[in-house]
Amino acid sequence: MMMIRAVLTLWLAWQAISPEAAKHFQTGTEADRHKQLEVAVAEFRKVTELEPGFVQGFVSLGQALIEQQDYGAAVTSLEHALQLDPNLGAAHQLIGYALLAEGYSAEAIPHLKRVDDPGALGIAELQAGDLAGAVANLQRALERQPGDPDLLYYLGRASGLLSKQAVDTLMAQYPDSPRAHQAMAENYYVLRQMPQAESDYKEALRLRPDLPEVHMELGEVYASSGQWEKAEQEFRAQTKLQPGNAEAAYRLGNALLEQGKAKEARPELQRADHLLPNMPETLYALGKAAALEGDAAAAEKSFTKLLGIEKGTPLAAQTHFALAGLYRKQGKTADAEREMQEFQKLQQQGAQQ
Amino acid sequence: MVVCAGFAAAPMFEVKLPRGLDFTLQNSPTPQKYLIETMPGGVALLDYNNDGLLDIFLVNGGRITSPMSSPDNFDRHDPKYWNRLYRQNKDGSFTDVTEAAGLANASDGNYGQGVAVGDYDNDGYPDLYVTSYGKNILYHNNGDGTFTDVTAKAGVTAGGWSVSAGFFDYDNDGKLDLFVTRYMEWDTQHSKDCGGAYHTYCPPGEFPRTTNILYHNRGDGTFEDVSEKSGIASKKGHGLGVAFADYNGDGFTDIYVANDGMQQYLWHNNGNGTFTEVGLEAGAGLSLDGGPLSGMGVVFQDYDNDGRPDIIVTTLPRQTYGVFHNEGKGAFADQGLQTGVAMMSGVTSGWGVGLEDFDNDGWKDLFIAQGHVLDNVEKIDPSLHYLEPTLLALNRNGRFERADSGSEALVAARGAAFGDLNNDGWMDVVTTVLGQRPQVFMNRGGSNHWLTITLRGTRSNRDGLGARVLVNGQTRFATTAGSYESANDKRLHFGLGIATTAKVEIFWPSGIHQTVNNVRADQFLEVREPERSSQ
Repeated sequence: MMMIRAVLTLWLAWQAISPEAAKHFQTGTEADRHKQLEVAVAEFRKVTELEPGFVQGFVSLGQALIEQQDYGAAVTSLEHALQLDPNLGAAHQLIGYALLAEGYSAEAIPHLKRVDDPGALGIAELQAGDLAGAVANLQRALERQPGDPDLLYYLGRASGLLSKQAVDTLMAQYPDSPRAHQAMAENYYVLRQMPQAESDYKEALRLRPDLPEVHMELGEVYASSGQWEKAEQEFRAQTKLQPGNAEAAYRLGNALLEQGKAKEARPELQRADHLLPNMPETLYALGKAAALEGDAAAAEKSFTKLLGIEKGTPLAAQTHFALAGLYRKQGKTADAEREMQEFQKLQQQGAQQ
Repeated sequence: MVVCAGFAAAPMFEVKLPRGLDFTLQNSPTPQKYLIETMPGGVALLDYNNDGLLDIFLVNGGRITSPMSSPDNFDRHDPKYWNRLYRQNKDGSFTDVTEAAGLANASDGNYGQGVAVGDYDNDGYPDLYVTSYGKNILYHNNGDGTFTDVTAKAGVTAGGWSVSAGFFDYDNDGKLDLFVTRYMEWDTQHSKDCGGAYHTYCPPGEFPRTTNILYHNRGDGTFEDVSEKSGIASKKGHGLGVAFADYNGDGFTDIYVANDGMQQYLWHNNGNGTFTEVGLEAGAGLSLDGGPLSGMGVVFQDYDNDGRPDIIVTTLPRQTYGVFHNEGKGAFADQGLQTGVAMMSGVTSGWGVGLEDFDNDGWKDLFIAQGHVLDNVEKIDPSLHYLEPTLLALNRNGRFERADSGSEALVAARGAAFGDLNNDGWMDVVTTVLGQRPQVFMNRGGSNHWLTITLRGTRSNRDGLGARVLVNGQTRFATTAGSYESANDKRLHFGLGIATTAKVEIFWPSGIHQTVNNVRADQFLEVREPERSSQ
């Protein structure tokens, strides 16, 4: 397809320009193809001198200059091309790249908006501070190029800045609002400054006791410092507010389990599994709770189900280890040894990675 | 049948520094972050002069320069760096008898770590084995208030970085053998710091593992290093704490080694002079979720009165203390969650540990000396702390509940030794604190009854170490080892609740089974090993 387009371009050029200019254009195109950029630039520049009304000459020169990373000269050549043909998409795209590369993102945006290149446009918008536009365009670009590391990076950065911008606005305009305290608490949590995080979460809840997710986040603060009774209270409050929230049910079950209250933990974990079936972490906790209660059959069932979903991961290794303990307790020595071997195999694989 | 007589709401201990106990643990922290700085020091409770009062031996670190030059010189000639022996006076005060006892200095090449106590020559006087980074020292108790350094003759120098040690009789020949844990292959010239700009002590995984040492007592004042032929040297590790008990009831004492940052080792005594490491197979090697443990201290006693010794291992934060319940038939199960211990750990660092019945209700309680390894941990994780409170957890029918120890002081505690300092029938504790004076936790007592037994071995080793002793449904395994770098009162203490009499059963290491009925409560009882088993 590229080859056909190149031949067609040359044929059109030969129709419109002098044989001497056409020869330089052909030589420049060949040189460009072979990455002989200095030759290509010289040849295309000759074309623009011989045929100053030949728009393709300026576009090709601009492209070669971009490849040579001489963005300033490329912009000049491409601007000339756009004077000749203001609607030429290739020129808009290339000048957009060149301006973006030089850091003139605001100037690049109008050009990039005229072509279908959401990735470059998103990056330009990010640099120009249009974070919402950047997020939208980078998401579009990622739909076309899933997993592209550059696009993922820019999307992450744009989203983060957008989030920060929103929070900054919240803090500046409503500093004593429950949401502002929640946001502050989240920041403290990330910094592992737990007393401050606890204080702001509590203030958020004092101002608005039914604020979604705050009980769960406060519960996490307590959980991370081993205060499981307090964590239980918060997770329980969250499940009361949001009985359909599987994560809240799981966290409540887990907090109960950490206190050794296996009997109370099991219904919560079962509810979590019902709301969001087959989550590996829930199945593991369910197995653990059953094992603690001495219900070996139920524990084995949960662990086995988990191993049907989760293979080769650290959680799978943990589960083999838990099964080994379960079998050992039942006196099933051969089964315990088998599970220990699986555990050790996965451990070794993990260590090698 | 043990009856609980209720729990006191008042603090369990009065924490005070008895007159004369003027020791300061010189760990000498430097910007170089030499790992040895954060690891001392041990404490022993022993009656070295047999006057009936427990005395205190404290291991000191040494002077560290920044940086250290080779060869290592810790300047132990300066008295502030000496290990110290404090003789208890009748009024509860202490007198420093270090020089008089011949224990001054510890060689400039040695940076002190821990201590083990045992009567290795069965002469009735407890001997001392001091572990070091450098060379260890065996002090023979001459019975006249003095000690003699017999290390070279005995052949127990070890070398490298020794941490904890313990005397036990692994072959039941009536002579105490010696086990020494070693931490890693390390020296000051090959030290490094970690944590980037924060400069912290490195985790053990940064340095090569090393072997522990088992010395067999020949009975002539010398020991043979049997680490290789016993199998102990077959597995390297990062050994710190060590404790002994016969976990499977085969009559031979087994060994548990707390390893830092890896699997814990349970050495099964095969009864023929060899050991097999069975930590993983037995379910006592990893956390409940199969993770490695930063094992520091360890206690190997029966916390749930089922007659089988359980294992509690203290660890670092982001792990919970390991509670390996002995399920019988050689298997263990982590019961950190059921016992409530997991709830009380997770963000704390445990070192010295003991299971002792502090309230004499018939259930062994848990005491843990705590404090993080890193003296700047707050910079790395503000939710953790270098200085931590001491943990006391009372045992209520096998489940532990946090209780008021009597001290709210935040400290970097390390060693902990357990014993009845004032002979009132209530267990006391001495802990060591980096850069500070020791803490002495004097039990306030109460109304419950008690019984304290001194074993007098005849065919077995003189102190009966390794004996299994049952009193009114409780079991203790006679040992001075356990905790971290420390040695405990050799006497076996039992809380009796409201019971005023007790039935005592002793399974001696020699195989002799002895029963003593209708023993009056609230007394110190010496039981002599008979020539043959009684009914």
